[in-house]
Amino acid sequence: MHVGGGFIVFIVNFLIRRLAQGVIIVFLVSFLIFTLLRVIPGDPVRLMAGGMAPDHVIDQIAEDMGLRDPIPVQFVRYMGGVLQGDLGQSFIRPASGAAVGGASFDDNTRSERAEVFDLIADTAPFTLQLALLAMAFALIVALPVGIYGGLRPGKWPDRLALYMGSLFISLPNFWLGIVLALVLSVNLGWLPAIGYQGFAYTILPAIVLAVEIAPFLIRSLTVSVAQNMRENYISVAAIRGIGHRRIVMAHALKNASVPLLNLLGVQFSMLLGGVLVVEFIFDYPGLGLLTINAVLQRDFPLIQGIAIVTSAAFVVINIIVDLVATTIDPRLEY
Amino acid sequence: MGTPLLDVSNLTVAVGEGASAPRVLTDISFTLEPRGILGVIGGSGAGKSVLAKAIINWLESPLRVVTGKVMFEGRDILTMSDRETRLLRGKAIGYVGGNPSGALDPTMTVGAQIVEKLQAVEPGTSYRKAQERVVALLDAVRIPSSDQRFNEYPFQYSGGMMQRAMIVDALVSNPRLIVADSITQPLDVTVGAQILKLLRELRDEFDTSILFVSNSLPTVADVSDRVIVLDRGIAVEQQPTADLITSPRSAETRQLIDELPTLWAHDDRSRLKPASEDARPIMSVRDVSRNYALASRGLLNFGPKRILQAVRHVDFDIYEGENFGIVGESGCGKSTLTRLLTALEPPDTGQITFEGKDIFGRGKEGTRAFRRRMQLVLQDPYNSLPPRNSIGTIIGEPLVIHGLASRKERRSRVLEVMAEVGLPASLYEELPMVLTAGQRQRVNVGRALILEPRLMLMDETLSALGQTEQGQLLDLLEKLQAQHGVTYLYISHDIAMVRRVCARVAVMYLGEVVELAENETLFFNPGHPYSRALLSAAPTLESRRYRSEDCLLDGEPPSPIDLPSGCAFASRCPQAFDRCLIENPRLQSRGGLNRAACHLLDSENTVPKEVSA
Repeated sequence: MHVGGGFIVFIVNFLIRRLAQGVIIVFLVSFLIFTLLRVIPGDPVRLMAGGMAPDHVIDQIAEDMGLRDPIPVQFVRYMGGVLQGDLGQSFIRPASGAAVGGASFDDNTRSERAEVFDLIADTAPFTLQLALLAMAFALIVALPVGIYGGLRPGKWPDRLALYMGSLFISLPNFWLGIVLALVLSVNLGWLPAIGYQGFAYTILPAIVLAVEIAPFLIRSLTVSVAQNMRENYISVAAIRGIGHRRIVMAHALKNASVPLLNLLGVQFSMLLGGVLVVEFIFDYPGLGLLTINAVLQRDFPLIQGIAIVTSAAFVVINIIVDLVATTIDPRLEY
Repeated sequence: MGTPLLDVSNLTVAVGEGASAPRVLTDISFTLEPRGILGVIGGSGAGKSVLAKAIINWLESPLRVVTGKVMFEGRDILTMSDRETRLLRGKAIGYVGGNPSGALDPTMTVGAQIVEKLQAVEPGTSYRKAQERVVALLDAVRIPSSDQRFNEYPFQYSGGMMQRAMIVDALVSNPRLIVADSITQPLDVTVGAQILKLLRELRDEFDTSILFVSNSLPTVADVSDRVIVLDRGIAVEQQPTADLITSPRSAETRQLIDELPTLWAHDDRSRLKPASEDARPIMSVRDVSRNYALASRGLLNFGPKRILQAVRHVDFDIYEGENFGIVGESGCGKSTLTRLLTALEPPDTGQITFEGKDIFGRGKEGTRAFRRRMQLVLQDPYNSLPPRNSIGTIIGEPLVIHGLASRKERRSRVLEVMAEVGLPASLYEELPMVLTAGQRQRVNVGRALILEPRLMLMDETLSALGQTEQGQLLDLLEKLQAQHGVTYLYISHDIAMVRRVCARVAVMYLGEVVELAENETLFFNPGHPYSRALLSAAPTLESRRYRSEDCLLDGEPPSPIDLPSGCAFASRCPQAFDRCLIENPRLQSRGGLNRAACHLLDSENTVPKEVSA
């Protein structure tokens, strides 16, 4: 209950329970990724050392790195590091910078390999910035269109919301990305498109992502606003003498915000974890691009690190969403 | 008498446009004086809710006023601007509907919403002042610890509490008129009786006129000075309440009065058979309890576990061939007991035997065999039938489940049963959607009957039916009992139905059987104060043997979680004394098969009227 200290007890209980669940989820995800990466064919040591390296060298490196131990043993060793904040080192990337293919096995410079933690810490802010901007763009469009559509079911605002959603959802993001880059960047020269040298480079990919997620937000808003406007308490409120504007703003929208909030959480998690195509198209130096390269290079520690970090982000976002939803609708406490 | 507060003249309302549009209300005229309570009574479809809404100009398309005026303090409500209407509705006219649970925003506290309303209709009221007024009114409608309740959410209120809060919401702006549309309908009778009492007191205290709309004549008669009887949109009669009851002028009113069940006077519709003491028990319930553990509210779920005691030490026998009734209001444990008696879940302690054998004693097969001999007939005629199965399939399904008949035999068996329960064979291939409520209940009875059970458990089976259909179904059940020797167990909240049918009745309150009595004893000499309270609140026009003012204190049943240590009814019992708060009374014999659980019986029993069996 919200009265007195009960609410504090509830929050503490809630956080402890959800964080404990979150740790289990992250652990399971790590184990799954870890095992799958080692079961699939393809030896990363061969990639690291180069195609020309003799077998005994390969074996030696693998032995040194512990890659020949049983999978559970490797996993325990790895998780021991994770608990201390050590996500391991990239197989491929040198600490100095650009990725190199391991063409020569006796190259001296390659011994200094990059920390996975650093690689992620360097790229995650870019993705976070992109995700937040995309979310902002999507909301700027979805809020008015969706709410208005929900308030006038069957009328033109409702249809506008529907058509807009259908149109946006049927635009493939790679196509839209290329077209926008061509028009806004190449032809008009308004916005930069490729790489990252400042905030302006975030705008174009954010627009593409916003178009991708806006239809879901519009639809969710239209449906839940329309549904709440049909609730008994809304029609009774008019009889109780409460003005229309206040009924909509204070009651219908408040109640409709809970499903929207849940959707935002899911969409935001998705943006953090997997804007692969869009980051690739715009060569945007975020987590998505890092993931693609890590997969292409069979950079196991890096893939694992990204998986752990993104699943932890999912967990945190979900906790925040549920906590905010509970403060909006206290029934969710039960 | 001065000028009327409300003057409705020649009001006609139609559905849709055009001269031929069907009329919902035709030529209604009446006046309501200041401080008057006018009752509006009518069955479903009589147009009473439309009338209530027309008075606050709340008709939504396709409903439309064709002619007529609704003059409130000399101004016609129907021709006002939206803005004027809105202020009038909230301020001068309060409206309380029949669905209190959905009437407020679930995400805001009750207090904040009533304050919101007051500030909307009286701009400039400070929050503090508004809050003071709301808390004072919450006190006036006797909501306990109103300060704290002010800050609670609608879902934390019970139905009765919520209805009180909605009355506060209507009263908060000092309206001259309150429109109360079916406000007691969703409530338990004892809670409804308290709301009626409250309404009368509020009229005296606040000088408010009330338009009271209901489908229950006894309820309307209880509160109103005058009554209008509506029938298919026409006001067939309008009289002062007392005259209406004693000398109804229209056939419709007379029918309404005749249909009412009676509790004490002799009723031709009674189907009572005397209880027989020497019959063999078919089902025995021995000291059965069922608790549910809820999550603790303490830090990290430490702290005391909260236990919901749904059924507590229930103990009775049902004899072969009798009609046994269990009555009680919501939350009394009827549903849990039904689940236990049908072997859907086992009791925590105690034993249930059927024909001498423990219903859980012989594993899955034993339970299945038990269920064949004991069938459940459900309450809701609309949701208890699968909508896409034909009626023949539905009735025949139990045979398939229990593997009792070949395809061919099944058809003839189903047709036989359909004839027996009075369903024409032509319905065999039809879907349930073509059936009336009464026919649906016949399907439900049929699909239970096809297994030739010894005991049929009727869980509110008759509650959803009108008087006439109820009577017909009772005729059928009686006939089946004579032919097959079935025993019936009725579980109901409707004490009038129980009066007509059940030879012996168990009265439940908060999980306990507080009284177990033969029909006549229960109604003429009840042994438990709660039984008296239930009788005092039952809707009837008869001169009551028990007045609710004497039998029931304000307040609602305590929560089944954290029950008080003494008698569970003590908090609402006018006769409670010290011992009731400390010690929970056990059932004790009152002679014959009658038992009750009340400390008052100790003094009564010092001179036993009869040697107990």
